[in-house]
Amino acid sequence: MTAIVVENLVKDYPTRKGPVRALSGVSFQVEPGEIVGLLGANGAGKTTIIKILCGLVRATAGKAEIFGIPADRPEVAKHVAALLEGSRNVYWRLSVEENLRFFAGLQGVGLREAKRRAAELIHFFGLGEKRRVTANLLSQGMKQKLALACALVKGTPVLLLDEPTLGLDVEASHELRGFIRELALRERKTVLLSSHDMGVVEDTCRRVIILARGRVVADDLVSNLLSLFRTRAYRVALRNGLPAEVLAELTPKFPSFRWLPEERALHVELWPSQNFYELVDALRAAGAEIEGLSRSEPDLEEVFLRLVRSEKEAP
Amino acid sequence: MRRVHVFFAILSRFLIEIKRYPFNTLSSIVTLYLVFLLLFAGARYAQGFGINVFGEGLEALVVGFLVWTFALAAYSDLSWEIMREAQQGTLEQLYMCPFGFPFVSLCWVVSSFLVSFLFSGALLGLMMLTTGKFLRLPLGTLIPLLFLTLAPIYGVGFVMAGLALVFKRIQAFFQILQFAFVPLLFLPAEAGWAKALPLTLGSRLIREAMTEGKTLLALSASDLLVLLGTAAFYFGLGIMVFKLCERVAKDRGLLAHY
Repeated sequence: MTAIVVENLVKDYPTRKGPVRALSGVSFQVEPGEIVGLLGANGAGKTTIIKILCGLVRATAGKAEIFGIPADRPEVAKHVAALLEGSRNVYWRLSVEENLRFFAGLQGVGLREAKRRAAELIHFFGLGEKRRVTANLLSQGMKQKLALACALVKGTPVLLLDEPTLGLDVEASHELRGFIRELALRERKTVLLSSHDMGVVEDTCRRVIILARGRVVADDLVSNLLSLFRTRAYRVALRNGLPAEVLAELTPKFPSFRWLPEERALHVELWPSQNFYELVDALRAAGAEIEGLSRSEPDLEEVFLRLVRSEKEAP
Repeated sequence: MRRVHVFFAILSRFLIEIKRYPFNTLSSIVTLYLVFLLLFAGARYAQGFGINVFGEGLEALVVGFLVWTFALAAYSDLSWEIMREAQQGTLEQLYMCPFGFPFVSLCWVVSSFLVSFLFSGALLGLMMLTTGKFLRLPLGTLIPLLFLTLAPIYGVGFVMAGLALVFKRIQAFFQILQFAFVPLLFLPAEAGWAKALPLTLGSRLIREAMTEGKTLLALSASDLLVLLGTAAFYFGLGIMVFKLCERVAKDRGLLAHY
């Protein structure tokens, strides 16, 4: 059975000035065991989707289901846990152990099993030395780990993570990404992770759904999206730079020529009809000395920006 | 069985937080005791002039004050808790309980009742020592009577909690409401319309149990039925208003906001 089904989801937030549309017919599905990233700028609708799936926000129209259970029914919580506001999701006056036992109990887990799960997660997240420390005394990274552990202690097959690395330093963010990847592999959790941080999504998810203005603008494997925007772009480093007259001479033949003075390099995108050797020959003929050559690969950030810009330009 | 685990998780968190904030816990009992001392001094002064301020004398004052402290906890605990949870960011997690948030609230209410019972027991001991009036404590009669008397106030608590979900800051309204309970406690419960009000009939029956030692069987059956009816009516009404507010909060995406 499909883990998450979202179909023609519409959400209008009522305001004094009239309804504000947050989602305009969003549809996607997530299969069990998949880690899917929800990528979008602020206000794109990521958090709204996650909160509708948790039953915390009512959809205006459309379908949102977890393992066939409508998301607005409380029973859906048997299958889904969420990290919604990071470290704010835990009780700051309760210790690490007490938080974990409380959230397990809230799911209806008995004390003995709750203790076992808590001990396992404390070990997994390396919180052993801090297990009796109240959450308010933990570092931001540890609080975030505890919040993730509190979502995991419920033992649900689906995990929704809203901006899980928000506010973390680079090291803590990398550590948490590692935990998420390992969890998905080890426990075959279905993970839907929202972020506006491309690195987090590229690092943890195989598939990404890109949102802009409440619409899905792309839904594909990260590798497919990258190859979609892969161009025949090269960066050619030149030892002695490129005189302006040579640049002017070569530009009609290679209109995409762009001189990067700080890098003393040339950026060029070849047309399908052009041969790479034509570029090398033209540079050699102009007396340029090639020092290095590399192919420019698009990253997820570039893919995201291109897709979102094209969506904005669409009528 | 899983619901029992939810209840114990909520109760144990309640107790841990009481333990973590000992000053707050102690000061709330001391404050209530000081308020009682003021009332007691006033009542004795009035008695000197032959005026019986609390109808049936000091026993009425002790019982009335006791029910009032319970009522304060009953209507404010849940709404305070909702405001606090929304403020610290944990309210949405409570909403994700598989048995629904009303069940979580109910567990909270019962936990709060049990803890109030312990605190009010301590307060009652202090009050009895102060007044020299030692009341009977037939727990088998008192606990169901207290629960039925307070059920309408829990209903009010659910209304307040619902309002807190939507409007978040409703503290000012709290201050007014706590004093509105006082006349309800001392109204004569003989008139039919007065019996239908929250607290009025219940506090009279509790007084009868504590001063005259009446058991549930010795109390008027029709009064008990009216008490049950008003308890169900106000509690049900409170839940309905809460559900309505919850719907508004979910429509507007307000659960996490403060």
